[in-house]
Amino acid sequence: MKTIDTGSQSGSAQFCPIYCIVPPHILKEIAQRGSADQKAWAFRTLSLSEQLRGQRQAIGYIAPVMAVSTGTKRRTIYDARNGSALPGTLVRSEGDPKSKDPAVNEAYDGAGATYDLYSKVYGRNSIDDKGMRINSTVHYGRSYDNAFWNGQQMVYGDGDGKLFNRFTISIDVIGHELTHGVTQYEAGLEYQDQAGALNESMSDVFGSLVKQYKKRQTAKSADWLIGKGLLAPGVKGVALRSMKAPGTAYDDPVLGKDPQPGDMKDYVKTHDDNGGVHINSGIPNRAFYEVAIRLGGNAWQKAGQIWYVTLRDKLRPNSQFKDAAHFTVMAARELYGNGSLEVKAVQQGWAEVGITV
Amino acid sequence: MRLTVAIDTDTLPSTESDRLHRLVDEAGFFNLPTSLKSNAPGGDRFQYRVQIEDGERRREVTADESAVPENLQPLLDYLTDWARANQKRKMV
Repeated sequence: MKTIDTGSQSGSAQFCPIYCIVPPHILKEIAQRGSADQKAWAFRTLSLSEQLRGQRQAIGYIAPVMAVSTGTKRRTIYDARNGSALPGTLVRSEGDPKSKDPAVNEAYDGAGATYDLYSKVYGRNSIDDKGMRINSTVHYGRSYDNAFWNGQQMVYGDGDGKLFNRFTISIDVIGHELTHGVTQYEAGLEYQDQAGALNESMSDVFGSLVKQYKKRQTAKSADWLIGKGLLAPGVKGVALRSMKAPGTAYDDPVLGKDPQPGDMKDYVKTHDDNGGVHINSGIPNRAFYEVAIRLGGNAWQKAGQIWYVTLRDKLRPNSQFKDAAHFTVMAARELYGNGSLEVKAVQQGWAEVGITV
Repeated sequence: MRLTVAIDTDTLPSTESDRLHRLVDEAGFFNLPTSLKSNAPGGDRFQYRVQIEDGERRREVTADESAVPENLQPLLDYLTDWARANQKRKMV
């Protein structure tokens, strides 16, 4: 049986070789209820598995319990002054007082709220889990109706005022963009077809959880809307997307009707939008909503933990919806045990959108 | 979300028609590749699809926002402004 030296150990600490690892859900109990030595051992045992890619899920499970992100926020806000050169002019750094510009403050606070969710709930230190500086540029472009992650930073437009308000106004949009960075460093989901829709869905999931966590909302009381407050007055709609009821967020003469499906039977085959990544994301979005509602309480805890471990440890660049369903069930089994209520909730959530696992 | 617009230069004032023709020429539109794709990482960038008919010439170009060449951007900005204003005319 292969063993790995752990370094220093107390007399009462036990060392368990990787190949006879105690099941994660038992280690969780130890990490929560054990003595100080037992907690240290449980964490150390799982820490060793970080050397092996295939065992990484054990760390993902213990991290939320320990919440040991030791990093600090490093936020930097730039102003593009309605141009397109990035990052623009530095206007606020970490710890600086508030700006007179609401967009600057919203980008700063939203990045902070997103960092806090990932750090305090999932033990993640910034976008790359290594304390990466979080750079955001506001006032990008002229009446620019969008926000995006460009592979290195977030970028926010002001909106044209007729269709859209400024894009920093919605904290879930900020969380959405930042999560594209997390996905880039983890699963690397390709931005095309079902993998791309999963990429978009992960951003909606954690964007919504940023809002829910900030407001301390339960899954039941949350609105599950992405971009609420973003649509300008007069636009017929409430948000960009609804995770609870895909296809109902807007119906406007200029913007058209929300095209998102909420079930595999309504999957949209298109060449537009990289194969409909913003359209078919409605299906995994709704699956997450259904899981969160079934589990109850705060969605960022159990449902969010299952989805985070899946994003971080299991999904691959070309994962399809059925793979995501399979992996989330696997994550739930590892976290909560075979046959647990959590596993059943995940299976039921995916069944609701037409994916059996 | 999708913004669309169709413009028929025959229905425009001459100054506006001239401006649009100039933007098309400056973009070198009929010499552009039909697909301008970007492999850069990221998410939520715009995508454009422009179809232009000019006499017997006809071309469709799709472009990822981060792959748009500098000389095409003014034409896209012009068309986006029209789309926002919800003008509906036949595209030339």
